[in-house]
Amino acid sequence: MTTTNKTPNTAPDTAQDAASDTTANTTANAAAKTAGYAPERAPRLEWAKHAPEVYKAMIRLDTAAKQGLDARLYELVKIRASQLNHCAFCLDMHTKDALAAGESVERIVQLSAWEESRHFYTEKELAAIELTEAITVLTDGFVPDEVYDRAAGLFEEAELAQLIAAITVINAWNRFGVTTRMTPGHYRPGRHA
Amino acid sequence: MSRSPLLDQKVFQAMRAVSAAAKKGLGDPVLAELVMIRASQVNHCAFCLDMHLGIARGNGESEDRIQLLDAWEEAEGRYTERERAALALTEAVTVLTDGFVPDEVYEAAAKLFDETELAHLISLITVINSWNRLMVSRRVPPGGRQA
Repeated sequence: MTTTNKTPNTAPDTAQDAASDTTANTTANAAAKTAGYAPERAPRLEWAKHAPEVYKAMIRLDTAAKQGLDARLYELVKIRASQLNHCAFCLDMHTKDALAAGESVERIVQLSAWEESRHFYTEKELAAIELTEAITVLTDGFVPDEVYDRAAGLFEEAELAQLIAAITVINAWNRFGVTTRMTPGHYRPGRHA
Repeated sequence: MSRSPLLDQKVFQAMRAVSAAAKKGLGDPVLAELVMIRASQVNHCAFCLDMHLGIARGNGESEDRIQLLDAWEEAEGRYTERERAALALTEAVTVLTDGFVPDEVYEAAAKLFDETELAHLISLITVINSWNRLMVSRRVPPGGRQA
C-alpha cells in the first residue's frame, strides 16, 4: 500500500487558500492519508430501525446493568469483550469513550496482553478482565471456579452481580455490531458514554 | 465457594423486555425455541436448556427434532430451509470469538427472512446468548430461580 502526503487534487493552490480554509486543508490531508485504504463498507442491516422495541429495551438494559459499577473499570471490560468478539464498531466507541474519560493509551493498548502487563492494572481490574474473558468465551467451557472466586473475593455481592450483567450486555452489543456489520470510525466520544 | 444468584431486578426486567420484543417481532414461536435450544447447547447452559426444552415440548415440538438439533446439519428433511438458515446464523452469532459472521451464512438468512424478521431473529439469538451468560456465570441450576 502506498500513501502520499500531497496529491494535486487536494493540496491547496495558494498560501491564501491554506490560511483561509484550514478545515478543508485538514480534510484534504486526512483524505490523502487514507487514499490507499480499503473502501468503507455499508452495514448489512439497520437492525435498530427494524426492531425499535428491542433497541429501546436494550438501552434500558444497558442503563440498568452499569448502575453501581466503576466507570473506568467498565470501559476496560467493554473494550476487552469487544476485542474478543472482534466488534469493530464497539471498539471504536469504547476506546474513544475511555480516552475521552482520561484513560491512558498505554492501558488500552496493553489490554489484549493483560496477563503479561498486570502491573498496569489494579487487582480488581484484573479480576474483572479475567471474568470478562470467561463469560465471553462460554463455548470453550464453563466459567471456571478460580476465576469466579477471585472476582467474588474482590467485589461486593451486588457489585459482582452488576459486573456479570455488564459483561453480558457488552456481549449483546457486540453480537448486534458484528452480525449487522455496524460501521466503525464515526463515533464521537461521549455520545453513548 | 458457592456462587451468588444475585441479579438486579431492573436488569432482569429489562432482559425480559428484550426477550419479549424479540420473540414478538420474529412471530414464529416454533423457530424461536429451536434457536434458543441450539444457542444454549453451544453455550452449555443447563438452566436455559431445561427451560426451552420444556417450552418446546409444551408447544408440541417433536422429540425427534429436539434430539437431532445438535446435529441439524446432518439431519436433512427434519428442518425447513428457514429453520436451517436460522440455526446456521444462531451458531455464527453465538461463536463470535472464532471469527466473524460469514457472508454466506448471513446472506442465506437474509434471503429467507425479511428485514424485520431478520432484525428480530438476530435480537433473539443475542438475547438467548445473554440469558446463557447470566445463568452459566451465576451457575443457576436447571429449574432454579432466575433472579
